[in-house]
Amino acid sequence: MRARVITVGVALCVACKGSEREVPKPPAKLAGVRVVDLIPVSLSGESWQDAEPFLALYASNPRLMAASAFTPNPGGSASATAPIFVSDDGGDSWTLRNTLPSQTMTADITHAVGGNPPALYAGIMKVPDFPLNELKANDLFSPATMILQGFRADIDQPFVRTSAVGNADRVYIGLNDFDAPDGRTATVDVSLDGGATYTSRRIETRNTAGQNGPSIRPAVAQDHTVYVAYFGWRSNAGADVTSDVVVVRDDIGATGATPFRDLVDPSDHLPGRLVATHVTIPWSNSPTLGQERIGSTLSIAVDALHSDNVYLAWADRVGTGDIYTVHVRRSTDRGATWSSDLRTLTNATDASLAVSTTGTVGLLYQQVTGPAGASRWVTGLEQSRDGFATHQDVVLATVPATTPPFQFLPYIGDYNGLLTRGNQFLGIFSANNTPDSANFPHGVVYQRRVDFPTHRLLDGSGAPVAVSIDPFFFSVPVLP
Amino acid sequence: MHIRSAMLFAVALSFPGAAVAQMSRAALVKQSDIIFIGTVTQVGAVAVPEVPPSDRTVVVRVDQVLEKPAPVALTAGDSVTVETARAGSLKAGIQATFYTTGWIFGRGVAVREVGHEPGQSPVVAADAREAVARARALVNDADLKAHIQRAAMVVAGRVEQVRPAELAAAPTRPRRITEHDPDWQEAIIQVEDGIKGAQAGERVVVRFPGSPDVAWVGAPKFAVGEEGTFLLHKDSTTGSPRTMIAGRSVPAYTALHKVDVLSKQDATRVRALIKKP
Repeated sequence: MRARVITVGVALCVACKGSEREVPKPPAKLAGVRVVDLIPVSLSGESWQDAEPFLALYASNPRLMAASAFTPNPGGSASATAPIFVSDDGGDSWTLRNTLPSQTMTADITHAVGGNPPALYAGIMKVPDFPLNELKANDLFSPATMILQGFRADIDQPFVRTSAVGNADRVYIGLNDFDAPDGRTATVDVSLDGGATYTSRRIETRNTAGQNGPSIRPAVAQDHTVYVAYFGWRSNAGADVTSDVVVVRDDIGATGATPFRDLVDPSDHLPGRLVATHVTIPWSNSPTLGQERIGSTLSIAVDALHSDNVYLAWADRVGTGDIYTVHVRRSTDRGATWSSDLRTLTNATDASLAVSTTGTVGLLYQQVTGPAGASRWVTGLEQSRDGFATHQDVVLATVPATTPPFQFLPYIGDYNGLLTRGNQFLGIFSANNTPDSANFPHGVVYQRRVDFPTHRLLDGSGAPVAVSIDPFFFSVPVLP
Repeated sequence: MHIRSAMLFAVALSFPGAAVAQMSRAALVKQSDIIFIGTVTQVGAVAVPEVPPSDRTVVVRVDQVLEKPAPVALTAGDSVTVETARAGSLKAGIQATFYTTGWIFGRGVAVREVGHEPGQSPVVAADAREAVARARALVNDADLKAHIQRAAMVVAGRVEQVRPAELAAAPTRPRRITEHDPDWQEAIIQVEDGIKGAQAGERVVVRFPGSPDVAWVGAPKFAVGEEGTFLLHKDSTTGSPRTMIAGRSVPAYTALHKVDVLSKQDATRVRALIKKP
């Protein structure tokens, strides 16, 4: 193994002294780790599959956060709105508010917070019919439905990032636009005026297999450099897609007439650096990895203060017995050249990257481990300051992968979320919600009613509730 | 919404007579997902920190829960924050049946009032429960009747085959690969009872999404051998309104709403609703 691992969450020390076997030490715990189940106590009877979580932070108020998942309006299927989670105490507690203009639930949602005054921007696929809705809320606590700023049909996976310039928020929504010409569907909807107007920017410059992959992921640095990662699907044979992994860059916040053309590949002199070529991506919309589907895991993160440094993670099938392998690479020259794999994780998905202000990279992932009958979903956060030559690992959750049975796909999410602020990594993931301390090596806080001794969830009357998938917020101190 | 709620509230209070009261109660029930008997304990106050107090907020002690969604933890004795339809409409000490929708769920429950019925004081819980149940039955029947009226065909029958749908390709649109692809399937139903627009012995083709994707989680799925009463709509979703059966081109139908698939025993109820004026 090429990397030296500093394992905090799972290391067991086992040694023998003569005939006496030394008792294994419990896993060391990293101080300051918090894991909080988002389901509030007033929804203790909830047993839905709250998958695909996402998180947004308010820079203006560290105690304020927004989160989402495939959580339905508790009012039921006739509800005209869908909910969003809100915390006003730094993630210790969460409330559910029905302010999204989507019938009961969304079919996709991400969000991010702008500058001053701080507004929440969301991109959703609205139920029914699944059009894109580009939304804004000036006041997270307002009971009003979020304001609709833009909409259109035939898109997939809106992914929102923001930056602030003066009093104008810039909003970047990566999405797969099926109405884009020539099958070059990788698109970023760019707003330079706080979402008042959006312009669709096509970022694929090469021929595709009819379309790009669903994941189009922007990342923004403080100097307004914008990177976008996407899958350049080149051919499609049955269940496998052959794809390039591509990064484009814009040095002036996509304010020019022909944005995202600042990074050119030396092989063909076209915009879009080919970080990896002809990788094999299994496209499976059925339970394939621990009851989860696979096919479009992609994340990019830029060092906000030093935009030369950028990290990229994606998943493909390597072909040596893995189902799905996460790769992490880095560029230190604005995407011009890239490392080889700094880190690989087999049978893993939902990689999310963030880079702290000290340059430490965080990698959130969810990995299936163990034999088939007793497999587990392990959710981990790795941190590194040296390109993963060494890394600190924290296991946030290790839960059964075979229960509960899936209600729909995605089982835990096509993505999750990792962000950073100050000396903390802050993130969100979804997992089996059995209240068992052994499943959460660094502890867990439930808001909903639980009985830890019997590992049972309880409803408002104290009756047992079936185990399901819940979203979990976490914070982990950045490596000192 | 609040103007409408206030109007309903006024309707609920102003019409005499049991039948009319039941109709206005049904209107309240239709808009409500949390219904309870409660006593106002504080005016201009809140029971949860997530809601700012105002002249429209009151705290209500729950005396009995009449209806609520299963996930919601709400029991007798809980204090609920209610945003009233009108400021000043409730005074401390009043007991009433509250018709509400969920608003904020946190350390407690905050709801928005659709309307309330003061009723007799004290409210007789059994009477209120029965009245709400009757109103809910009226609402459900009205909803189902509306679905029946919108349906092109209503049949009781049995699924004899499920097959992948072969949709006529749109000439200018390449096939999209997305995790939200519905993966259309076709169920062939042998009609045993043609309730509307069909006759016994016919075979009809119903398209449904076979995809497990979240976007289609609420849509009924069909399996071979399944029996039921089916409310079928002409296919205006897939872009390919016809299909083939036994070499013949026939209209394709869909049943995408959960109310579109009922039990076989519901055929009697469906027939009764069709006859009902």
